[in-house]
Amino acid sequence: MNPREVAERLHENERKVLQALSGRGTATTEELSRLTGLARDAVEKASDWAATKGVVSFKEEVSQFFSLTDEGSVYAENGLPEQNLRKLLVHGPQEIAKLKQTFENLNIALAWMRRNGWADIQNGVMELTDEGKKVDDPPEKRLLRALDKPTPQSGEAFTEDETPVLEQMVKRKLVTKHEETERSVAITDFGRQVLPELEAAESVNVITQLTPEMLVNKSWRGASFQRYDVTLPAPSLSPGKRHFISQVIDYIRRFWVELGFKEMKGEYLELSFWNFDALYQPQDHPARDLADTFYMKTPYSGQLPDPKMVEQVKETHENGWTTGSLGWRYRWDPEVAARNCLRTHTTSLSVKQIAKLTPDDLPAKFFSCGRVFRNETIDWNHLAEFYQTDGIVIGEGVTFRNMKGYLKAYMEGLGVEKFRFRPGYFPYTEMSMEAEVWIEERGEWMELFGAGMFRPEVVKPLIGIDVPVLAWGPGFDRLVMQSYKVNTIKELYTNDIGLLRRAKLWME
Amino acid sequence: MPVIEVNLEDFRELLGRDVSIEELQDRLPMMGTSWEGVTEDGFHLEVFPNRPDLLSIEGLARAYSSWTGARTGLRSYPVVKSGYRVVVDEKTQDVRPWFVTAVVKNVEFDDPLIRSIIQMQEKLHVTHGRRRRKVAIGLHSLEPIEFPVTYTTKPPEFKFRPLGERFEKDLTWILGEMKTGKEYAWTVEGFKEYPMILDKKGMVLSMPPIINGEYTRIDESTTELFIDVTGTDLKAITEVLNVICVTLADRGAEIHEVHNHYPDGSVLTTPNLEPWVMDLDNDYVNHTLGYEFTPQESARELEKMGHGTEINGNVIKVLIPSYRADIMHPIDLVEDIAIGYDYDNFEPEIPPISSEAGEDPLEVFSRGLRNFLVGLGLLEVVTFMMSNRDKLFKRMSLPEEPICETDNPKMEAYDSLRNRLLPNLMEVLSTNKHHPYPQNLYEVDDVVVIDPSTETGARSRRRLAIALCHSSASFSEIKATMNTVLENLELEAEVVEGGWDCFIEGRRFTAMLGGEPLCWAGEVKPEVLERWELEIPVAALEMDVNLLFKAQMG
Repeated sequence: MNPREVAERLHENERKVLQALSGRGTATTEELSRLTGLARDAVEKASDWAATKGVVSFKEEVSQFFSLTDEGSVYAENGLPEQNLRKLLVHGPQEIAKLKQTFENLNIALAWMRRNGWADIQNGVMELTDEGKKVDDPPEKRLLRALDKPTPQSGEAFTEDETPVLEQMVKRKLVTKHEETERSVAITDFGRQVLPELEAAESVNVITQLTPEMLVNKSWRGASFQRYDVTLPAPSLSPGKRHFISQVIDYIRRFWVELGFKEMKGEYLELSFWNFDALYQPQDHPARDLADTFYMKTPYSGQLPDPKMVEQVKETHENGWTTGSLGWRYRWDPEVAARNCLRTHTTSLSVKQIAKLTPDDLPAKFFSCGRVFRNETIDWNHLAEFYQTDGIVIGEGVTFRNMKGYLKAYMEGLGVEKFRFRPGYFPYTEMSMEAEVWIEERGEWMELFGAGMFRPEVVKPLIGIDVPVLAWGPGFDRLVMQSYKVNTIKELYTNDIGLLRRAKLWME
Repeated sequence: MPVIEVNLEDFRELLGRDVSIEELQDRLPMMGTSWEGVTEDGFHLEVFPNRPDLLSIEGLARAYSSWTGARTGLRSYPVVKSGYRVVVDEKTQDVRPWFVTAVVKNVEFDDPLIRSIIQMQEKLHVTHGRRRRKVAIGLHSLEPIEFPVTYTTKPPEFKFRPLGERFEKDLTWILGEMKTGKEYAWTVEGFKEYPMILDKKGMVLSMPPIINGEYTRIDESTTELFIDVTGTDLKAITEVLNVICVTLADRGAEIHEVHNHYPDGSVLTTPNLEPWVMDLDNDYVNHTLGYEFTPQESARELEKMGHGTEINGNVIKVLIPSYRADIMHPIDLVEDIAIGYDYDNFEPEIPPISSEAGEDPLEVFSRGLRNFLVGLGLLEVVTFMMSNRDKLFKRMSLPEEPICETDNPKMEAYDSLRNRLLPNLMEVLSTNKHHPYPQNLYEVDDVVVIDPSTETGARSRRRLAIALCHSSASFSEIKATMNTVLENLELEAEVVEGGWDCFIEGRRFTAMLGGEPLCWAGEVKPEVLERWELEIPVAALEMDVNLLFKAQMG
């Protein structure tokens, strides 16, 4: 930027500082405060801004200040003890014993006389040396006088010869010394180039903050606006915002709807019948273990639905009923099916939905999205509850190839590039498949979700006819984790306000 | 699901070719397994629980050589006729009723086979055997056994020398002191007498499903085996016996039959390694897969899965191998055809099904609400539905009431379902004290309440909770917030003094809509804030969204 442009960008206070420096070149912020009439912190701030624009620089100077101690003040008034003693001895030698009676601070005076080589002591009599006779006013006396002021004196007031004496007096504890670091501001060469431009810039009325008043009295007319350094940082705000999981759920709902699916809703607390039995999971299946499923203490169990359908489910488990299956061949217990649990998958909603349909309602496509529960010990990668979404397509003529068709559309909709469908296993589907994505960094396939066609043993007892049903239940935690660079599933649900405020918006 | 370890050299030898690890990694998953990674001398593979026949390396090689076309069709496993006889005692029928057996000769017990058999036995016990309760396997040296063998029960004070012990021990000691006894004691809990297998001399072969006897210990010199499988389900133990027998037969062993005499006079001759038959309509195949296979093509794919086939017009008579435990419906054969043909080879196709689409209206309404609240500057949180009484009542100064509680939680902090949202907002505030204020939060989600009129005795309700937390959070601010929500839905509620005990008396209200409580609000009591370790005031509300929705829909 040229000097002119910089001059236009200077804040009023920066300008004042720069002009104050025009004559002297350097000044402390305190001096600048006096010169500009601005408060000290305003000067500091303006100088900081000005420094970023290169018109001033900072210098730090250490200044020394000296003042008298209590002892020093006494001597300033009464004279130094050794000086007083020397004056006394000018009139002739004195006996120490006698001096002890009459002279104040004798020990101090003796010590310094000896050190200065002003006197000799022989047989208890003290006499000035030639040196002592020559001494006139020692520099200490002058310094004591100079320092005998109500405020500390700057080290700059003393000559080079005086400085060692001053240091000596500090050691003698007659004088105290303290240092002050002072920040001074100096105009730079560039600043000097900017100075002449200031007047031009100043000749017009410069507006910093546009106020309602200015708009009313129209004082903005003909004024120029102070140019801001638009690259300076601005404070961050705390937005009102949707939780990122909630944004993703919205997206998933829209995604299903765009594929032509209708939403199904249901309960979290569900009969085992809907969570397991209606899905043809035998009552001794390991997935039904207490270790994985939350069973309820309150309400402990519920009422099984439509007795005719329940009977069909029972028969199917026991002997295949009319489904053409051999069944699981065991005795099905209605008490076990009536036990309440927290749904372990949203597939419970799918079967419940199928049970509500009649052949006239077909074909139909449904989806669900909601929380499911697993009896887990919660740690960074295991949660007792998380989200799942399920989709079903039910209708005569729906095929395995259609299953692949929907899943392909689904994967492409999620932006997955390389994927495959391999055989999988679920007790309630046949064909069963796993949708896998290729993870380039790891050089391997990763399971993304399970899918399949509901077994006839699932469908027929619920709706009365054997009709194909495609079903798939993609979890989306992994997707969200990847998108939000969150490494563990638990972080998704910690509700850290900092994370929620700064998390990227889901823009799909 | 069980994961097996496969030694690549063994696998290649059984397969009869030098298959590469890359091929296996790529192809085995398409046969219906899950690749779990390469090991030092082979790989780990997850086998689905419905395919116990793949739990041994022999079974895996058998399936892979068929599937890749090297050796397709039904394999025959002859069983040698014999006079071996076992007797099942009436006493076993109330405790562990089923018992099937086999004799196997010409076994060469080298390292790979021992490893494979032990692995298969372990995995079968866990999955198919439901930790030995449903199925337990015993392998014995045939040599010392004098037939007939008897399967009976013995009282706790009965003594024998269990495998690995130097002296005879009584059954109580075995269940209480031995490692395997303690681990599996639950499978015989409550029994007055325990299942026991003895030979003619009264020597103990096994105390199933706990431990074998030292008497029939197997070592490297063993060439002849007696196999017993006991359990609670005849189908399951028969499948397991068959899987073990064909595995040994694949290694060149000779299988001999045993006649199992049951107390009702029936005789079960095992193992039966003959295939069983299911008819498959080829139209059903094509109808399900969306393909046009000829019966011959369908049959070819079935043969790749190890089945035998005979074609009668459009119907395929499928001869299903005795070791396939998973076939119970023609649909299972259709899947075998799909796997045989390879999932990859089916062209994806979306059917022209037009059906009504759309979101649940309550969800649409909730989303509108959520977005509106964001406009008020509120930050949405999504919290757990699982909670506990301390959070829901004690910390909130709210009276205890019936809620939905689980029976078997692994963590006490999550043993119940929330019946209110507000406690969770308080929790979020208490864990975020290091972040700048104001912290104005909301959540729109479900709670679950007791309701005897439903199928389960509980039902979910959609709620909205708002907590305003900053140095001047006040009653008027939270009331204004509620009013703004209602105004924007063109609703008006009647505000009545009083409400939830978590709010300061005289600064709390209940808003009624059509005679039903819609919203509870107020300034949160300082003692409640203290219990959440909060030093900033909170004004909050909770609203019944179902009621709001109903009123708004008119």
